[in-house]
Amino acid sequence: MSAAQAVGAVAMRDVRKLFRQRGRLLASMIRPLLWLVVIGGGFAATEPAVRGAGYQSFLVPGVLGMTVLFGAALAALATGYDKESGVMRMLIIAPLEHAWIVAAKAAGAAAVALIQAVLLLIILAPFGYFGAEVSWPWLAVGLAATALACACLGMLVAAWTQSLDNYAGMMNFFIFPVFFLSGSLYPVERLPGALRLAAAANPYTHGVDLLRHATHTGPAFNRSTDLAVIIVFSVAAIAVAGARFSADGVFESRVRRLAQ
Amino acid sequence: MTNLGGGLAVEAIGLSKHYGAAAAVQAIDLAIPQGEFFGLLGPNGAGKTSTIHMLSSLIAPSSGAARVAGFDLRSQRLEIRRRIGVVFQGLALDLSLSAAENLRFAGRLNGLHGTEIERRSGELLALFGLEKHRHAPAAALSGGMRRALDIARGVIHRPRILFLDEPTSGLDLLNRRAIWRHVADLRSATGMTVFLTTHYLEEAADCDAVAFLNAGRIVRRGKPGELVDALGCCLIEVETDQPAEVARRLEPRFGAALIEPDRVSFTCEREPADLALLGGELEGAARALRWRRPNLNDVFLRINQPDARRRAA
Repeated sequence: MSAAQAVGAVAMRDVRKLFRQRGRLLASMIRPLLWLVVIGGGFAATEPAVRGAGYQSFLVPGVLGMTVLFGAALAALATGYDKESGVMRMLIIAPLEHAWIVAAKAAGAAAVALIQAVLLLIILAPFGYFGAEVSWPWLAVGLAATALACACLGMLVAAWTQSLDNYAGMMNFFIFPVFFLSGSLYPVERLPGALRLAAAANPYTHGVDLLRHATHTGPAFNRSTDLAVIIVFSVAAIAVAGARFSADGVFESRVRRLAQ
Repeated sequence: MTNLGGGLAVEAIGLSKHYGAAAAVQAIDLAIPQGEFFGLLGPNGAGKTSTIHMLSSLIAPSSGAARVAGFDLRSQRLEIRRRIGVVFQGLALDLSLSAAENLRFAGRLNGLHGTEIERRSGELLALFGLEKHRHAPAAALSGGMRRALDIARGVIHRPRILFLDEPTSGLDLLNRRAIWRHVADLRSATGMTVFLTTHYLEEAADCDAVAFLNAGRIVRRGKPGELVDALGCCLIEVETDQPAEVARRLEPRFGAALIEPDRVSFTCEREPADLALLGGELEGAARALRWRRPNLNDVFLRINQPDARRRAA
């Protein structure tokens, strides 16, 4: 049996589940729309233009990235969530190296995040947020790469997390720092020294940067750097998370918890 | 490992599991022939679940060796997982998916393809009486139906060995009986080996062989009928507020008593002729007196007899 088939099955299941929870899907649109319309509108009033474009145009790749980040990271973190335990029991007993479970859940999280991003695109497009200069193929590549990076980041945290008890902690110590230390809301190169370095080291920054390339809203790095950072990070993250997840001690405590 | 092999479904030698200083399973030996219905019995915390987790390749043994479905437990874990089904104490189902979708998901995880999954799902849903609920979300099924679906999930890939870890715990009597009918039907349809753990000992009466596990060690094993027969033909039970006194008076005649806080029992080789006479001899120390045929619970209580005595003291 191929691991790819199992990875596909997990991703399909996560996507099917997303479409069943239409409330969750629509609610995931609220956050980026609030940022774009309310905060974007507010900041536009104080900062008339960033690199010649209106602040809201500058913010469009940022909120697309945000949708992908929150969608992928939360889906990945759900790996340690009790409601997922039935699925995890099915996965641990499947004839699959346990490290593949990490890859499968990452694929599911990335797929879920991509769908949310596409939905946001569909909502935003009629309002003229994407001009004629947008490169749709590169936007697709950017969204896929961002989803991959965020899902892998989420799995890296999930591999060290037994449950999602501390939801607020996850948001405050993981998702928000990743979001704020990126080019989603402001040009990375204008950040003060240490923050700029942190943002440059953040793989999510490079995902948003790819979206900036596609939407011509002032990327800070070149495209090949962005892609290289994301690919290297994702491969390394999956390898580390997979090794951690399938390490005997960690895995056994998970099995004991799941078996009850 | 040279002793391991042959036509056994499960063979283990000196299998042990330690968690730090605590020994969950201590050097157990098993030889379970293919097609056997085997019960691993014992109280909570005896090491039953750790044994199932080791044999199903989920956790690594601390020491010892085993072959499951003919494959080495340490080096051929995926080969083993292809050939076993596991039903955990907790449900391995996605409650947000329908019954059919759960089976499809499990089938795909096990490398089956669409038409094969559909065919087997249909057979299993029919066997377990779930056809009408095929499209119902698992969350909407009753506890008994969810467990039946979970077992169907565990056998969708036609495993040679099915591990059932306390499959009926938390279910009412009717649902428990239904689950055992399903397992019996499955065994007669497929001939698969079933490795059961339970602490409802009466459920193990239909097993071909059982082993009693206590504090991680196998303390007795055999066919349920033979273990029960070995206790004698009957059991005399005295309900009393003075268990030690009743035991002192009757042990010279019936041999060692099993003393519990509110009762004393003795095994005997013949049906007692006159219980009323015995009641008279106890001069009001007995609240009630009866005899009955022994069962697996009595075997278990006598294995743990020293504990029972301590509790009474």
